[in-house]
Amino acid sequence: MAAPHTAPHVSVNRPNPVSVGTIVWLASELMFFAGLFAMYFTLRSTVPAEWAAQTGKLNVTYAAINTLVLVLSSVTCQMGVWAAERFQPVRTGSILAVRTWGMNEWMTLTYVMGAIFIGGQVFEYASLAHDGLTISTSPYGSVFFLTTGFHGLHVIGGLIAFLFLLGRSFTAKRFGHHEATTAIVVSYYWHFVDVVWIALFIVIYLLK
Amino acid sequence: MKVESRLFLSIGVFFFPVAGVYAFFSHAEPVGSAAIFLVGLLCMMIGGYFRLLSGRIDERPEDDELGEIDQGAGDQGVFSPWSWWPLVIAAAAALVFAGLAVGWWLSAIGGGLAVIGLTGWVFEFSRGQHTH
Repeated sequence: MAAPHTAPHVSVNRPNPVSVGTIVWLASELMFFAGLFAMYFTLRSTVPAEWAAQTGKLNVTYAAINTLVLVLSSVTCQMGVWAAERFQPVRTGSILAVRTWGMNEWMTLTYVMGAIFIGGQVFEYASLAHDGLTISTSPYGSVFFLTTGFHGLHVIGGLIAFLFLLGRSFTAKRFGHHEATTAIVVSYYWHFVDVVWIALFIVIYLLK
Repeated sequence: MKVESRLFLSIGVFFFPVAGVYAFFSHAEPVGSAAIFLVGLLCMMIGGYFRLLSGRIDERPEDDELGEIDQGAGDQGVFSPWSWWPLVIAAAAALVFAGLAVGWWLSAIGGGLAVIGLTGWVFEFSRGQHTH
Protein backbone atom coordinates (compact mmCIF):
# COMPACT_ATOMS: atom_id res chain seq x y z
CA MET A 1 0.00 0.00 0.00
CA ALA A 2 2.06 2.90 -1.26
CA ALA A 3 -0.76 5.40 -1.53
CA PRO A 4 -0.92 6.55 2.13
CA HIS A 5 2.84 7.30 2.11
CA THR A 6 3.06 9.42 -1.02
CA ALA A 7 3.12 12.76 0.84
CA PRO A 8 6.79 13.89 0.80
CA HIS A 9 8.59 13.48 4.11
CA VAL A 10 10.38 16.40 5.66
CA SER A 11 13.20 14.12 6.72
CA VAL A 12 13.81 10.41 6.31
CA ASN A 13 15.47 8.29 8.95
CA ARG A 14 18.37 6.76 7.05
CA PRO A 15 21.77 5.32 7.93
CA ASN A 16 24.50 7.91 8.39
CA PRO A 17 26.68 7.66 5.25
CA VAL A 18 29.81 8.61 7.23
CA SER A 19 29.33 5.67 9.63
CA VAL A 20 28.56 3.18 6.85
CA GLY A 21 31.54 4.41 4.84
CA THR A 22 33.82 4.04 7.86
CA ILE A 23 32.68 0.45 8.46
CA VAL A 24 33.19 -0.51 4.80
CA TRP A 25 36.67 1.06 4.86
CA LEU A 26 37.51 -0.75 8.11
CA ALA A 27 36.42 -4.03 6.49
CA SER A 28 39.02 -3.36 3.78
CA GLU A 29 41.57 -2.61 6.53
CA LEU A 30 40.88 -6.12 7.76
CA MET A 31 42.31 -7.41 4.48
CA PHE A 32 45.44 -5.30 5.02
CA PHE A 33 45.95 -7.15 8.30
CA ALA A 34 45.05 -10.41 6.51
CA GLY A 35 48.20 -9.86 4.46
CA LEU A 36 50.26 -9.42 7.63
CA PHE A 37 48.79 -12.54 9.25
CA ALA A 38 49.41 -14.51 6.03
CA MET A 39 53.04 -13.35 6.04
CA TYR A 40 53.46 -14.31 9.70
CA PHE A 41 51.99 -17.80 9.29
CA THR A 42 53.93 -18.44 6.06
CA LEU A 43 57.29 -17.74 7.68
CA ARG A 44 56.32 -19.68 10.77
CA SER A 45 55.59 -22.77 8.68
CA THR A 46 58.76 -22.46 6.55
CA VAL A 47 61.33 -21.60 9.27
CA PRO A 48 59.88 -23.03 12.53
CA ALA A 49 63.39 -23.21 14.04
CA GLU A 50 63.47 -19.40 14.07
CA TRP A 51 60.38 -19.33 16.27
CA ALA A 52 61.88 -21.84 18.70
CA ALA A 53 65.03 -19.72 18.95
CA GLN A 54 63.54 -16.22 19.18
CA THR A 55 60.13 -16.30 20.90
CA GLY A 56 61.79 -16.76 24.30
CA LYS A 57 62.92 -13.13 24.07
CA LEU A 58 59.31 -11.90 24.31
CA ASN A 59 58.13 -10.59 27.67
CA VAL A 60 54.55 -11.89 27.67
CA THR A 61 53.57 -10.36 31.04
CA TYR A 62 54.75 -6.90 29.95
CA ALA A 63 52.87 -7.18 26.64
CA ALA A 64 49.75 -8.42 28.46
CA ILE A 65 49.71 -5.33 30.72
CA ASN A 66 50.17 -3.12 27.65
CA THR A 67 47.30 -4.98 25.95
CA LEU A 68 45.10 -4.39 29.00
CA VAL A 69 45.73 -0.62 28.72
CA LEU A 70 44.63 -0.67 25.07
CA VAL A 71 41.52 -2.75 25.81
CA LEU A 72 40.52 -0.43 28.66
CA SER A 73 41.04 2.57 26.36
CA SER A 74 38.28 1.13 24.16
CA VAL A 75 35.99 1.24 27.21
CA THR A 76 36.81 4.89 27.95
CA CYS A 77 36.38 5.67 24.23
CA GLN A 78 32.87 4.19 24.33
CA MET A 79 32.04 6.30 27.41
CA GLY A 80 33.12 9.30 25.32
CA VAL A 81 30.82 8.23 22.48
CA TRP A 82 27.86 7.99 24.85
CA ALA A 83 28.66 11.50 26.11
CA ALA A 84 28.85 12.70 22.47
CA GLU A 85 25.47 11.09 21.74
CA ARG A 86 24.08 13.12 24.67
CA PHE A 87 25.70 16.16 22.93
CA GLN A 88 27.73 16.78 26.07
CA PRO A 89 31.26 17.99 25.26
CA VAL A 90 32.43 19.00 28.76
CA ARG A 91 31.94 17.75 32.31
CA THR A 92 29.16 19.23 34.43
CA GLY A 93 30.82 18.61 37.81
CA SER A 94 34.27 18.35 39.30
CA ILE A 95 36.99 16.58 37.32
CA LEU A 96 36.94 13.87 40.00
CA ALA A 97 33.22 13.26 39.42
CA VAL A 98 33.77 10.79 36.58
CA ARG A 99 30.04 10.27 36.03
CA THR A 100 29.59 13.88 34.95
CA TRP A 101 32.38 13.72 32.35
CA GLY A 102 31.71 14.89 28.84
CA MET A 103 33.23 13.69 25.60
CA ASN A 104 36.38 15.83 25.88
CA GLU A 105 37.41 14.31 29.22
CA TRP A 106 36.75 10.71 28.11
CA MET A 107 38.52 11.12 24.78
CA THR A 108 41.51 12.82 26.43
CA LEU A 109 41.81 9.87 28.81
CA THR A 110 41.54 7.50 25.83
CA TYR A 111 44.30 9.45 24.09
CA VAL A 112 46.57 9.19 27.13
CA MET A 113 45.98 5.43 27.38
CA GLY A 114 46.69 4.98 23.66
CA ALA A 115 49.89 7.00 24.10
CA ILE A 116 50.90 4.78 27.05
CA PHE A 117 50.39 1.73 24.79
CA ILE A 118 52.68 3.23 22.12
CA GLY A 119 55.24 4.23 24.75
CA GLY A 120 55.14 0.67 26.10
CA GLN A 121 55.73 -0.67 22.62
CA VAL A 122 58.74 1.62 22.16
CA PHE A 123 60.30 0.26 25.38
CA GLU A 124 59.52 -3.30 24.26
CA TYR A 125 61.20 -2.70 20.88
CA ALA A 126 64.22 -1.18 22.64
CA SER A 127 64.61 -4.19 24.95
CA LEU A 128 64.25 -6.63 22.03
CA ALA A 129 66.88 -4.71 20.06
CA HIS A 130 69.08 -4.91 23.15
CA ASP A 131 68.63 -8.71 23.07
CA GLY A 132 69.76 -8.73 19.43
CA LEU A 133 66.35 -8.96 17.73
CA THR A 134 65.72 -6.29 15.10
CA ILE A 135 63.80 -6.13 11.83
CA SER A 136 66.91 -7.16 9.86
CA THR A 137 68.53 -9.78 12.13
CA SER A 138 66.17 -12.67 11.52
CA PRO A 139 62.98 -13.69 9.65
CA TYR A 140 61.22 -13.77 13.03
CA GLY A 141 62.34 -10.20 13.73
CA SER A 142 61.05 -9.11 10.32
CA VAL A 143 57.53 -10.45 10.81
CA PHE A 144 57.38 -9.46 14.49
CA PHE A 145 58.27 -5.83 13.81
CA LEU A 146 56.21 -5.62 10.60
CA THR A 147 53.01 -6.94 12.20
CA THR A 148 53.26 -5.11 15.53
CA GLY A 149 54.78 -2.04 13.82
CA PHE A 150 51.99 -1.63 11.27
CA HIS A 151 49.51 -2.04 14.09
CA GLY A 152 51.39 0.59 16.10
CA LEU A 153 51.22 2.96 13.12
CA HIS A 154 47.45 2.44 13.09
CA VAL A 155 47.28 3.30 16.79
CA ILE A 156 49.30 6.49 16.10
CA GLY A 157 46.83 7.29 13.30
CA GLY A 158 44.04 6.86 15.84
CA LEU A 159 45.80 9.22 18.25
CA ILE A 160 45.97 11.86 15.49
CA ALA A 161 42.26 11.27 14.83
CA PHE A 162 41.53 11.88 18.54
CA LEU A 163 43.40 15.21 18.33
CA PHE A 164 41.27 16.25 15.34
CA LEU A 165 38.12 15.09 17.14
CA LEU A 166 39.00 17.16 20.23
CA GLY A 167 39.90 20.07 17.94
CA ARG A 168 36.47 19.94 16.30
CA SER A 169 34.82 19.70 19.69
CA PHE A 170 36.74 22.71 21.06
CA THR A 171 36.03 24.76 17.89
CA ALA A 172 32.28 24.16 18.03
CA LYS A 173 30.23 26.59 20.10
CA ARG A 174 27.26 24.26 19.71
CA PHE A 175 28.24 20.60 19.96
CA GLY A 176 25.97 18.92 17.42
CA HIS A 177 25.62 16.04 14.97
CA HIS A 178 28.77 17.08 13.11
CA GLU A 179 30.93 16.54 16.22
CA ALA A 180 28.98 13.50 17.47
CA THR A 181 29.38 11.74 14.11
CA THR A 182 33.14 12.39 14.24
CA ALA A 183 33.28 10.88 17.74
CA ILE A 184 31.33 7.80 16.63
CA VAL A 185 33.45 7.03 13.56
CA VAL A 186 36.72 7.63 15.42
CA SER A 187 35.47 5.16 18.05
CA TYR A 188 34.69 2.60 15.32
CA TYR A 189 38.30 2.89 14.16
CA TRP A 190 39.65 2.66 17.71
CA HIS A 191 37.60 -0.45 18.54
CA PHE A 192 38.70 -2.04 15.26
CA VAL A 193 42.40 -1.39 15.96
CA ASP A 194 41.87 -2.75 19.48
CA VAL A 195 40.26 -5.99 18.21
CA VAL A 196 43.06 -6.44 15.66
CA TRP A 197 45.60 -6.07 18.49
CA ILE A 198 43.84 -8.77 20.54
CA ALA A 199 44.14 -11.12 17.53
CA LEU A 200 47.82 -10.17 17.07
CA PHE A 201 48.52 -10.59 20.77
CA ILE A 202 47.00 -14.09 20.81
CA VAL A 203 48.89 -15.15 17.67
CA ILE A 204 52.28 -13.61 18.52
CA TYR A 205 52.50 -13.84 22.32
CA LEU A 206 50.23 -16.73 23.31
CA LEU A 207 50.39 -19.24 20.42
CA LYS A 208 54.00 -18.32 19.53
CA MET B 1 18.35 -2.59 5.69
CA LYS B 2 17.45 -6.27 6.15
CA VAL B 3 18.16 -7.23 2.53
CA GLU B 4 21.64 -5.66 2.59
CA SER B 5 22.34 -7.28 5.96
CA ARG B 6 21.29 -10.77 4.80
CA LEU B 7 23.27 -10.38 1.57
CA PHE B 8 26.57 -9.63 3.33
CA LEU B 9 26.00 -12.10 6.19
CA SER B 10 25.23 -15.00 3.82
CA ILE B 11 28.29 -14.25 1.67
CA GLY B 12 30.33 -14.14 4.89
CA VAL B 13 28.97 -17.46 6.11
CA PHE B 14 29.80 -18.98 2.70
CA PHE B 15 33.52 -18.17 3.07
CA PHE B 16 34.10 -19.98 6.40
CA PRO B 17 33.55 -23.53 5.05
CA VAL B 18 35.39 -22.48 1.87
CA ALA B 19 38.41 -21.54 4.00
CA GLY B 20 38.20 -24.95 5.70
CA VAL B 21 37.98 -26.80 2.37
CA TYR B 22 40.90 -24.76 1.00
CA ALA B 23 43.02 -25.42 4.10
CA PHE B 24 42.24 -29.16 3.89
CA PHE B 25 43.12 -29.62 0.22
CA SER B 26 46.17 -27.31 0.32
CA HIS B 27 47.53 -29.00 3.51
CA ALA B 28 47.03 -25.80 5.55
CA GLU B 29 48.75 -23.43 3.13
CA PRO B 30 48.77 -20.29 5.31
CA VAL B 31 48.25 -17.35 2.89
CA GLY B 32 45.00 -18.53 1.28
CA SER B 33 43.61 -20.09 4.46
CA ALA B 34 44.08 -16.86 6.45
CA ALA B 35 42.91 -14.61 3.59
CA ILE B 36 39.73 -16.58 2.77
CA PHE B 37 38.80 -16.82 6.46
CA LEU B 38 39.25 -13.05 6.85
CA VAL B 39 37.20 -12.38 3.67
CA GLY B 40 34.41 -14.14 5.58
CA LEU B 41 34.99 -11.82 8.56
CA LEU B 42 35.05 -8.80 6.20
CA CYS B 43 31.55 -9.65 4.95
CA MET B 44 30.28 -10.52 8.45
CA MET B 45 31.55 -7.16 9.71
CA ILE B 46 29.57 -5.18 7.10
CA GLY B 47 26.51 -7.47 7.35
CA GLY B 48 26.58 -7.34 11.16
CA TYR B 49 26.74 -3.54 11.10
CA PHE B 50 23.79 -3.35 8.70
CA ARG B 51 21.86 -5.69 10.98
CA LEU B 52 22.58 -3.41 13.93
CA LEU B 53 21.44 -0.40 11.86
CA SER B 54 18.23 -2.09 10.71
CA GLY B 55 17.21 -2.38 14.36
CA ARG B 56 18.02 1.28 15.04
CA ILE B 57 16.30 3.03 12.13
CA ASP B 58 12.80 2.88 10.70
CA GLU B 59 11.98 1.13 7.45
CA ARG B 60 13.33 3.16 4.55
CA PRO B 61 11.26 3.85 1.40
CA GLU B 62 13.48 1.38 -0.49
CA ASP B 63 12.53 -1.35 2.03
CA ASP B 64 8.88 -0.95 0.98
CA GLU B 65 8.12 -3.00 -2.14
CA LEU B 66 5.47 -0.50 -3.18
CA GLY B 67 7.62 2.51 -2.24
CA GLU B 68 7.69 5.57 -4.51
CA ILE B 69 10.81 7.54 -5.45
CA ASP B 70 9.46 10.76 -3.90
CA GLN B 71 9.11 9.07 -0.49
CA GLY B 72 12.90 9.26 -0.28
CA ALA B 73 12.85 13.06 -0.62
CA GLY B 74 14.29 15.14 2.18
CA ASP B 75 17.44 15.02 4.28
CA GLN B 76 19.96 12.56 2.79
CA GLY B 77 22.91 13.41 5.04
CA VAL B 78 25.60 16.07 5.16
CA PHE B 79 27.75 16.39 2.05
CA SER B 80 30.48 18.84 1.21
CA PRO B 81 29.46 20.82 -1.93
CA TRP B 82 33.12 21.23 -2.95
CA SER B 83 36.52 21.45 -1.30
CA TRP B 84 40.09 22.26 -2.30
CA TRP B 85 41.60 20.40 0.65
CA PRO B 86 41.61 16.86 -0.83
CA LEU B 87 43.73 18.30 -3.64
CA VAL B 88 46.24 19.66 -1.09
CA ILE B 89 46.35 16.25 0.64
CA ALA B 90 46.83 14.50 -2.72
CA ALA B 91 49.71 16.86 -3.58
CA ALA B 92 51.25 16.16 -0.15
CA ALA B 93 50.99 12.38 -0.69
CA ALA B 94 52.55 12.77 -4.15
CA LEU B 95 55.48 14.71 -2.63
CA VAL B 96 55.97 12.11 0.14
CA PHE B 97 56.19 9.27 -2.39
CA ALA B 98 58.27 11.29 -4.87
CA GLY B 99 60.64 11.74 -1.92
CA LEU B 100 61.28 7.99 -1.92
CA ALA B 101 62.79 8.36 -5.40
CA VAL B 102 64.32 11.86 -5.13
CA GLY B 103 65.45 12.16 -1.52
CA TRP B 104 64.05 12.16 2.00
CA TRP B 105 64.06 15.98 2.23
CA LEU B 106 61.17 16.05 -0.29
CA SER B 107 59.16 13.62 1.89
CA ALA B 108 59.63 15.98 4.84
CA ILE B 109 58.15 18.86 2.82
CA GLY B 110 55.29 16.57 1.77
CA GLY B 111 54.72 15.64 5.43
CA GLY B 112 54.45 19.30 6.41
CA LEU B 113 52.01 19.95 3.58
CA ALA B 114 49.98 16.90 4.67
CA VAL B 115 49.58 18.38 8.17
CA ILE B 116 48.30 21.66 6.63
CA GLY B 117 45.97 19.82 4.22
CA LEU B 118 44.53 17.45 6.83
CA THR B 119 43.96 20.25 9.34
CA GLY B 120 42.27 22.40 6.72
CA TRP B 121 40.10 19.49 5.59
CA VAL B 122 39.03 18.38 9.07
CA PHE B 123 38.18 21.91 10.22
CA GLU B 124 36.60 23.12 6.95
CA PHE B 125 33.07 22.89 8.36
CA SER B 126 34.00 24.14 11.84
CA ARG B 127 35.32 27.60 10.98
CA GLY B 128 34.83 30.63 8.75
CA GLN B 129 31.26 30.89 7.42
CA HIS B 130 30.55 27.41 8.82
CA THR B 131 31.35 28.33 12.45
CA HIS B 132 28.70 26.80 14.65
